[in-house]
Amino acid sequence: MLTLSTALTLCPNLLTLQQQSEREKKALQRLALLAYNFSPTVIVTEQGLWLELSGCEQLFHSYNQLLRKLQQALLSHSSALDADSIEMGFAESAEGARLLCRPGFYCELPSGEELLHQLHNMPISALNLSRRQQQSFRQLGLNCLGDLMALPRAELARRFGTGLIDYLQLLLGEKPCQLQRFHPPPSFHDLLQNPQGIFSKQGLLFPMKTLLQRFSLYLQARQCHCRTLEWRFEPLLGEPCSMRVTLSGSQNSWSNLLDLSRLQLERIALPASIESIILTSDDFIDAVPAEQDLFADTLFSNNLYSNTALTEKDSSQSSKLIDSLRARLGPEALLQPVLCSNYLPEKAGEVVPAGAFQQSTATHYGAQPLWLLPKPVAIQVRNQQLFWRRPLSILSGPQRLCDNWWQSDQQRDYYLACDSQGARYWLFRQSGSGRWFVQGLFA
Amino acid sequence: MPNTEIITRLLTRHDTWRGQHQKTTQRTISSGQDQVDQLLKGGWPTASVTELLVQYPGIGELSLLLPIIKHYCQNNHLAVWLDPPYQPYAPALAAAGITLQKTLIVQSKSHREWLWIAEQCIRNNALLLAWTKKTTPSYTDIRKLQLAAADSGHPAFLFTATTQLSASSPATLRLEVDTGGEKNLRLCVRKLRGVAPGEQILIPRDRDLGPQCSLTKLPVNSSHSAISVPTDIPRSTTTSQRLNA
Repeated sequence: MLTLSTALTLCPNLLTLQQQSEREKKALQRLALLAYNFSPTVIVTEQGLWLELSGCEQLFHSYNQLLRKLQQALLSHSSALDADSIEMGFAESAEGARLLCRPGFYCELPSGEELLHQLHNMPISALNLSRRQQQSFRQLGLNCLGDLMALPRAELARRFGTGLIDYLQLLLGEKPCQLQRFHPPPSFHDLLQNPQGIFSKQGLLFPMKTLLQRFSLYLQARQCHCRTLEWRFEPLLGEPCSMRVTLSGSQNSWSNLLDLSRLQLERIALPASIESIILTSDDFIDAVPAEQDLFADTLFSNNLYSNTALTEKDSSQSSKLIDSLRARLGPEALLQPVLCSNYLPEKAGEVVPAGAFQQSTATHYGAQPLWLLPKPVAIQVRNQQLFWRRPLSILSGPQRLCDNWWQSDQQRDYYLACDSQGARYWLFRQSGSGRWFVQGLFA
Repeated sequence: MPNTEIITRLLTRHDTWRGQHQKTTQRTISSGQDQVDQLLKGGWPTASVTELLVQYPGIGELSLLLPIIKHYCQNNHLAVWLDPPYQPYAPALAAAGITLQKTLIVQSKSHREWLWIAEQCIRNNALLLAWTKKTTPSYTDIRKLQLAAADSGHPAFLFTATTQLSASSPATLRLEVDTGGEKNLRLCVRKLRGVAPGEQILIPRDRDLGPQCSLTKLPVNSSHSAISVPTDIPRSTTTSQRLNA
């Protein structure tokens, strides 16, 4: 092993960089998420990733196909990864695989005898043993793992302790692996940095796409859908800017999320130059696997309301519509009417921001207008003649409403009136003051 | 064996010429009222924009559409109300059987935004009811919506003022909604394939009248006395003036 000063003496223009273990860990975590699509048992340590493939042959039809797909996924995941920068090894145990790591990616699974042969030829110095033990093995004339395995276990345990036997059992896969299995973290947080700075919204889209692709992998691994995600754009100097994307339905495809984020991005003002982009999300719901019709027929899909599968599609489409409208217009532009348990018309039917819907079972009687004026408008009585825009005449009524008597004098007599042109209005007369108001239109 | 399914689909296409047997060509969806269906040769045309030219709000134009809104909500589609002139009153909608959860009110801030929302709604299979705030949509705007509706296969409704009657429009159906006296609503087809322009019907509007009581004790005038007589005359003159123009 070389020290830094020796290395610099040998090669004066050597470029040295600080090891960033935190970022290495993050990168490995990202790879673990990718690997999680190929095997349910993924182990991450500082040294690398382990995947247990034994249960996954059937899913991918063969191990070789699985490995080919894994290679494709790894290489397309990041441009920094290529076949030469990967080291990999196969064995019956995690420790064995670590020992047998060689540079390069192999899509061919070696046979069992070959593996055993390789393991037998493994030099003792490569094993994870204490220096004293290695020295004593060398003095005994044991050079490779095969020599050590030829010796009887009981005697080895007596001489070198049971720790050695445990290690050998782990190495040969006789004992289950005790490393912690990888689980996706409960919330997602990822960032991309660009030291040069990004100056345009167009330029942001590519890093955003990368982040969303990672996020989509995470969602896939956790089998959930996200409900909100938050973007933060941090400039080198000055205030960071954040943006929250809310989803009404369940979606986890990165292209949809990117479309929504882009729509929302158009509305906000960003700092001049952005150095880092952060994507966080911790609001998830469990995904319900989409049901697909076994005998889906494209011929009939043009018919309206032909089957239930179509209405399922429609409801996901309507949530997609709500999302894209909300992203472009902002949440305040979308409203929904709701019923409230109150008899005063201005409180019985309110409009609330879309999504804040709760079912109410209020019932209201009598003729109800379709349009409601936001506030009752006082109208004039001229010469015993009601007048609002045009002269009005009463058609029917009254219907007495008496509510909130403890708050204010709100006894009202409601009438239906029509004007000279035939338009119909909903009027009321406050019994206390005797004043007339118009409150709605029968459209 | 010939595939009868394909043949019937071919025959129901509106651009298939069938010699003497001219039938209704436009795909329609029932409006819920037999009278209106008869006037419109089957109902509201689907896959196209319907322009409702309304004299002024409050004459009963919206109640025409309640059955189709109900139908769409029940089939899990959204009904989007774009820029309504007043607040839709939830109890009245609920009384008409409309699922409030499927009702969405959207307010646009500019004309460009209005057009974008309208097109998005049509393309995403929602039922669009659009009002215009200040700027009236141009010919190309409506044409854009008409093309979107043709792609999606759903109807879209556009409420415009009667002053737009002189401008040409690519909408499949242009229907003028007018008052026909105190108790009626007059529908007049201005443009629809297969229907002569100017064909009109009167629809009674007494459905939403509540219980009648003694109106004589009211502190103000009621309908049956003085008002109906003097106002009837100017109304008829304005209608005839407009028809002559």
